[in-house]
Amino acid sequence: MTNDEMDKFVGSRPLPPLSADRLKQIEALVVADLKPVRPLAPAGVYLAAFAAIVIAGCLASWFYFTGQSGWEALSSLQKLLVFVPLVAIAVLLIFSVVRQMTPAARYTRTTALCAGCVFLLLLGLMTLILHPVHESAFVRTGLICLRNGMAFAIPVAFFSALVLLRGARLSPMLTGATAGGLAGLVGMAVLEIHCPNLNIYHILVWHVAVVLICVIAGAVFSSVTFRRPASNQ
Amino acid sequence: MLRYQQADAVATTALIEQLSPQLYRFFAAQLGNAEDASDMLQDAWLRIHRVRHTYRPGEPLLPWVYAIARCVRVDSYRKRHRIAVREIVVEALPEPAAASVEPNDLPPFDQLISNLPASQREVLTMLKVNGLSLEEVARATSSSVGSVKQKAHRAYQRLRASLASPKAGKGAT
Repeated sequence: MTNDEMDKFVGSRPLPPLSADRLKQIEALVVADLKPVRPLAPAGVYLAAFAAIVIAGCLASWFYFTGQSGWEALSSLQKLLVFVPLVAIAVLLIFSVVRQMTPAARYTRTTALCAGCVFLLLLGLMTLILHPVHESAFVRTGLICLRNGMAFAIPVAFFSALVLLRGARLSPMLTGATAGGLAGLVGMAVLEIHCPNLNIYHILVWHVAVVLICVIAGAVFSSVTFRRPASNQ
Repeated sequence: MLRYQQADAVATTALIEQLSPQLYRFFAAQLGNAEDASDMLQDAWLRIHRVRHTYRPGEPLLPWVYAIARCVRVDSYRKRHRIAVREIVVEALPEPAAASVEPNDLPPFDQLISNLPASQREVLTMLKVNGLSLEEVARATSSSVGSVKQKAHRAYQRLRASLASPKAGKGAT
C-alpha cells in the first residue's frame, strides 16, 4: 500500500457525528461564564520577571550574610567552573518555566532536560575541582547549610509560583519541578557564594540537597494544588 | 479567538461550532467511543475556556487548542485507567454487536490503530484525521517536526504490517 493509499484509508475513516444537543450544551456552558480576559503578556515580560526574582534572591543573601566566604575561598578557575554552569542552568530553567506557561510552546521538556544535564555536568566538574576534607561535624554544619539554602529558595519558589499562576499549568508536575529546581538553584548559588566549606562531600550532600528537595517539593505541591478539576457534567 | 477573549458571545459560539467537529474527530478517532469523545470534547472546551487568556494574539491557534485537547485526553485516559483498576466486574455483560464490515474488506480502523502506541496514534490522528500540518502537530505535542515525522512513519509501517497480515486487526485488543 502506497503512502497516498494509506492517507486515503486513514483520512476517510467514518466517525460518529457530534450530537447537536451536546454542542449546544457546551456553547451554553462557555457563554454563561463569558468575561473579558487580558491575553498573557509577551514571553519577554515573564523572562524578565523570573530573572528579577532569581537575581533578587541572590542579592538578598548579601544582606543576610556578612561576607562572601565561599566566593573568596574559590580560585578563579573554580569560580568559573562553578558559577558559569549555575547561570546556564538558571537561564535554561527560566526559559522552560516561561514556555510552560503557554500551551503548545515548543522545547519545554527539552529545555528542562538540558538544565538537568548541565546540572549533572556541574556536579561532575565539582568532583574534579574540589576534594574531600575531613569534617568532625559533617551533619551539624550540613544542616546549617541546608537551612540557609532553603531560607533563600522558599521565597524564590513563592514568588515564582505567583508568576506561574497566570499561566496555563497543563503539566503541573513538570512546571512545579522546574520552578522548584529554579528556586533550589538560587539556594545552592547562595551557598556557593557564602559557604566557606569546600569539602566535596559537604557540597554534594547538603548543597545539592537544597536543589533536590525543592524539585521534589515543587513537583508534589504543584501536582496536588493544581490538579486538573474533574469535568462538569 | 481575540473576540472570544473579549467576551463576544457570537464569536465564541462561532468558534465552538467551527472547532468542535475537529476536536471531536480527534477524540473519537483515538477512542472509538462517541459518548466518551463528546464528554472529552466538553472537558476540552471547559479547559480552553479556563486558560483562554494564555492564547497570545498572532500565535497559531490550532496547536494551542490541540495542546489543551491532548492534555484532556491524557487526563481522561488516566482517570478511566484508575476506574478500570478499581472496578469489580459483577456479571458478564452481553457481547456487543459485531462491528460493521468495511466496504473494502479492510479490518476496522479502530482495531488497526488500537495496535499503535498512544504517541503514534495521536500523531496519526492529528495529521490524517484532523488535517494538521507537521509544524502544528509538533507544537501541539511539544516535540520537534522530525520526531512527528518519525512517529507518523513508524505508525504507517505498523499499519502496513497489520494490513498485510491475513489476520489483520482480528487479534487487536
